Formats: sequence, C-alpha cells, structure tokens
Amino acid sequence: MKKTVSLLAAGVLSASLLAGCGGGEAEGSKEEGVVQIEFFHHKREAIETIDKLIAKFEAENPNIDVEQASPPEPSTVLRTRVSKADVPDIIGVGGDVTYSDLASAGVFADISNDSSLDKVQPAYVQMLKDVSGLEEVYAIPYATNAVGVIYNKTIFSELGLEIPKTWDELLSVSKVIQDAGKIPFFHTYKDAWTTLPSFNALAANTQGEDFYSELNNGKILAGERYKEAAEKMVELTKFGHKNQQGVAYNDGNTAFANGEAAMYLQGIWAIPEIKKANPEVDLGVFPFPATNNPEEIKVVSGVDLLFGMSAASKHPEEAMKFVEFMMEEENAKQYIDEQNSFSALNGIAQEDPTVSDLQASFEKGALTDFPDHYIPNGVTPDKTLQTLVLEKDVDAFLKKLQADWEKVQSRK
Amino acid sequence: MKNSQITIEKPPISSAHSVSKRKKKVNSRMIAFYLMVLPAALLFFVFHTFPALQGIYYSFTNWNGITLDYDFVGFKNYLNLFQDPAVIDSYVFTFKFAILAAVFINIISLAIALGLNAKIKGRNLFRAVYFLPNILSVLIVGFIFNYVFTNILPGLGEKYGIEFLTTNILGNANLAWIGILIVFIWQACAFNIILYLSGLQTVPTELYEASSLDGANNWNQFWKITFPVIAPFFTINMVLSMKNSLMVFDHIVAMTGGGPGYSTTSISLLIYNGGFSGGEFAFQSANAVIYFIVIMVISVFQLKVLQKREMDM
Repeated sequence: MKKTVSLLAAGVLSASLLAGCGGGEAEGSKEEGVVQIEFFHHKREAIETIDKLIAKFEAENPNIDVEQASPPEPSTVLRTRVSKADVPDIIGVGGDVTYSDLASAGVFADISNDSSLDKVQPAYVQMLKDVSGLEEVYAIPYATNAVGVIYNKTIFSELGLEIPKTWDELLSVSKVIQDAGKIPFFHTYKDAWTTLPSFNALAANTQGEDFYSELNNGKILAGERYKEAAEKMVELTKFGHKNQQGVAYNDGNTAFANGEAAMYLQGIWAIPEIKKANPEVDLGVFPFPATNNPEEIKVVSGVDLLFGMSAASKHPEEAMKFVEFMMEEENAKQYIDEQNSFSALNGIAQEDPTVSDLQASFEKGALTDFPDHYIPNGVTPDKTLQTLVLEKDVDAFLKKLQADWEKVQSRK
Repeated sequence: MKNSQITIEKPPISSAHSVSKRKKKVNSRMIAFYLMVLPAALLFFVFHTFPALQGIYYSFTNWNGITLDYDFVGFKNYLNLFQDPAVIDSYVFTFKFAILAAVFINIISLAIALGLNAKIKGRNLFRAVYFLPNILSVLIVGFIFNYVFTNILPGLGEKYGIEFLTTNILGNANLAWIGILIVFIWQACAFNIILYLSGLQTVPTELYEASSLDGANNWNQFWKITFPVIAPFFTINMVLSMKNSLMVFDHIVAMTGGGPGYSTTSISLLIYNGGFSGGEFAFQSANAVIYFIVIMVISVFQLKVLQKREMDM
C-alpha cells in the first residue's frame, strides 16, 4: 500500500513538472477582456522599432496585448515550436526556405484572396510563390532588403574614384585602392554566412534565366551555372585584408565603420550596425556590378520580413488587425526608416541618401531574388563557400555544392 | 573485475541475515529509499529515456521536423548515413579530437593533481584556481577565447613581429581544431584534477616511507606506488574524458560554429544543425542512434580493458 502511495507521489511530482513546461499557453487572457497575441519574428535588429510600434498599437487597441518574441537562432526555435504545435499567432520570417517549409507544412493560414495583398508590390508576392513552389500565398511581404556594395564615400573622394558600373571597373577600382596602401574589401569570412551576400549578387546575375524553371523540373544546375560566380568570389578574396578568414561580422562592421577599408560586401541591413559603431561615417551603397553589362545588372532584393498568420490561431481577427496596423503608411514608413530597409508595399519609398544609388534599380524594377533562398536548408552553401574563399578551389566547390544539393533532394 | 564484484555484493549478503529478523522495520526503511530513488528515475525516464526512444522511432521515418505527416522508410536513413561524406568527415574530426583531448586531459590533470597534493604554499588557493574553469559556463568561456584568438593574439603578434600569431587560428581550416582543443582541455582538466586529487589522498603515506627506506626515488615511487593505487581513478577519468570529448558541442558553437567550412563540425553539432535547422530530423535521428551505440561500445570497451589493467598492476 505504502509503495503505491510513494509511487503516486513521485508520479504527481513529475507530472507537475511536466505541466510547468507547458504553462505558457494558459496565460492567454490574464486580464478581463484583454486578448493576448504573440508576434514571433527573426529581425533581432528591429526589436526596438517593433516595441515602439506595438506600444502605439496597444494605445489604440487597449483590449489587445501584443507579445513580441525574437530569440537568437529564430529558425531553429520556430521549427521546434511548430513541431510541438505551439505556433505563434503572427510569424515574421524572411521569404526563404523557412517560409517555404512552413507554408508547405500547413502552418500558415491561406491569405491568397485577402485584400491586404493588394497593397503589396506584385513582384514580392510572386517571389513568395516562386520560393515555395505553391500557387497560394501564405504571408504578406512587408519589408525587403537589398545587397549591394557598401562604400566609404570619404575614401572614394580622397582617391578620386568613381562608382564602378561593371565588373572590370570594380576590379580596377580595387587595384587603385590597394596600390594606395588601403584595403579594398573588408571580408569577414570567419562567419560563414557573410560569404552569401556577394555570392547571391554574383550568382543571381550569372546563373542564367532558366535556372529556377529547370530547378522546378527537378534539375539542379549548380555545378555548371555557379562557375562564374565562384571564380569571381575567388577574385574578390585577393582584394581583402590579411586576417580576413579570422574576422567575424560584428568586428567587420566596426572595422569598416572606422574607415579600415573602402568597400564592404554586405546587405543594407549592415548599415544601421555600421553607423552604430561610428555615427560619423559617410556611407553609400551602389548596385553590385556582377557582370560587364551594366544594362542587365539586377540588384538582389528579397523579402526580409513577412507576416504569416497561424492557421491554428485562437485570435485570427486580432492578429490581422495588428498586421493591418503595421501596414498603415505611417507605420510602414517608420519601420523602413529606422531599419534602413525597403518597403514591400506600394508607394512607400526609402529616402535615405545612403541607399539613393540603389533607388534607380528599384524604380525600374531591375530586381531579382536571393539565389540561396532556393537552396534547401540541409545543403548549407555558406560553409562550402567559406571553404571556397579559403582554399580557392573552384572545381571542388562546384562539385561539393552539386553533390550536397542532390543528396538533400534525394532524401526527401 | 572479481575484486570489485566481491566488494559490491558484500553488504547485501551480510544484511541478509538481519533482514529475516526485522523484516517489518526494514520494509519501512526500504520505502524511504525507494522514495529517494524513484522520482529521479521517473524524471530521467520522462525527460531522457522517452525522448531517446522517440528519436529511435523517428529515425525510421522521413519526418523533416515540422510537417504533420510522415512515412516510414525503414532503414533508408541508416543506409544514407554511411554514404554521406559530411557524416564520415565529422566522425574523423570527432575521433581525432576526442583521442587527443582524452590523452592530454589525463596527463595534465594528473600532473597538476600531484602538485596540488604536495605540501606547497597556498595549496588551497591553487586548488580553487584550478577548479574555477569547471564552474564557468562553457559558452561564456568560448566567447572569451573567441575574442582572445580574434583580437588579442593577433594584436600581440603584430606588436612583437610574431608572424604565425598575426592571423586568427580559428579562421584557419587546418588549425582551428587546435584552438578549440586548447580551450576544451583547459576547461575539462578542472573536473579531472578533482577526481585525481581525491584518488591521491587514498594513497597511504606509509608506503612512501617504506619505499624511501628501500631507496626508491620519486620516479619509482610514482610508477610503483602512486599510479597502481590510483588506477581506478585513472579508469574513470579516461572513460569520462573520452565520453565528454566525443560529445564536444558547446565549445565549437561558441568558437567556430563548425567552420571554417566543415573542418570543426563534430558529430553532435552535425546532428543539431542538420536535425533542427537543416530539416533532416529523421536522418539526423538515425545518426544520433548510431552515435549512441558507438559511444556505448567505446565506454564499455574502455572499462573492460582498463579494469583488467587495474588488476594486473
């Protein structure tokens, strides 16, 4: 008898511990009539901006309490939560494989016919369709980013340099900077992902028009079509600095902010970070001159933040209300101003002089999506690229990337 | 082996007599003991064994970690495992790392423990200093050393003209593992020193006195007296340090993230990365199952071999 009692006691003890883990869900309505919704997003840089917007929203809607969550490793956290059916009401991710996986898994509510989509530039809605390979739309594109060459205007004017418009000009400008005893590019290869922005710009402009359509037919062309991009990546390593394989992104931002190099191959998301390190630095961004045909060069721009609504949300109306609030012109403008990004919505322009050189590409629609958004997650092209810029072996790179991609594809 | 069995079985045999005499009292005492043991066992089962069993189950499916449905694929994941160069590379790296780490950790820990066991000045202070790395968080230690390797060492190299220091070794595909190894050993030694220290305190001082009368020098004393007496501690230290090194994860996350390229991707890191963010949950579950078996076999093998050696000494 006593034994059973003790067993029961132990059972209750462990059960209560288990209950403690799942406690978060029951907190839904702490106060009378106040609905709590959760906004999970991957823009850790934007936490402050979103805090401000949430405060404004809650002032207008006192009966809705928006909870912001933006952990490190957002993709991993989100996948873990989805796998145990604990899906946030609003999910803010990029228009990449995470979106496409979640969309295919049926996590998002279908909003293909929602009127909010009319406010969005059609090109970005199309990107979501392309990247997921689905006809339905499961999220609203909100903010977009772009990859270019960030340059230090002070150094450029000191050396009397013009903005390069072609690949050859980019190389000759780099040569001049190097001969003047300065560093042309501040590479940060210690963080594998920092190889991706320049690779994306190069691959998007050289992989060929039919790359994605062939991919949708099940044909992976990485091995042959990425050759030019890979060769150019190797070329760029020659204009770096001595410790380029040992410096990571954050240190690179600081070094570039302090004028240690003339150019920085990053997305525009790096600009707020660079300015944080040195508010005085005079920066500009020009389109990445990936080829020698300036008419055809496209700027890589993707959906940086989209809003997906959980299909299982208990408060879909309140969640939609918050998304609509974020899309109001004033608020969308505040977001892109503070985040130095571009808006996916019609008629909201980024007026910051830093990125004015990119504006022309945006106006004439010379935009293309990030090629790595189409590479399945298990392939990890960033690591293979990191090896490429260290070993400079183009053939080995192409072979490995092709093999990895085929391997992941065949396991599905 | 026999020796240890006898010592383990002794208490139940001698108490068997008393059990029959005072059965009732013992029974109530037993309940108290069960109360001490059962909750932990239950928690262990719920949070450790059960997820592990789930992992085995998923390793036979094609689940990617988020979809609602999945199919059974039999042994496909296991077959793919042996053809995947990424998996094979990570095994090579992990074993190279673990063997070197286990050897160095034991040599260094034993040397330091001998020093800390001697009657030196400030002995307690030194003991505290050497134990300190054990209570620091691995991630924080990793980030600190990351900073040292990235900024401080290249700075020193620049200043004094030492060429090989001027670049960050964590960014060098051939050397990055050495940087991680140094930090790993530094931190792992703390715990092994404590174990060796407690072992050294079991060595009877009379043995040293008697042997020095016979004219044995320090070297002989160490190999003929100290080492055989602390042999069980050597066994457990070897097994533990080997097992911990095989499961190296946090240090790598904090210092290189598995790079440059894949050069420092340990098996644990590969399972984590591929399984959670890479959408290969089932495949990496299979990897984890195989790895569990490998570690178990190695640990049992080590125990058998080293315990046999204990008896020979």
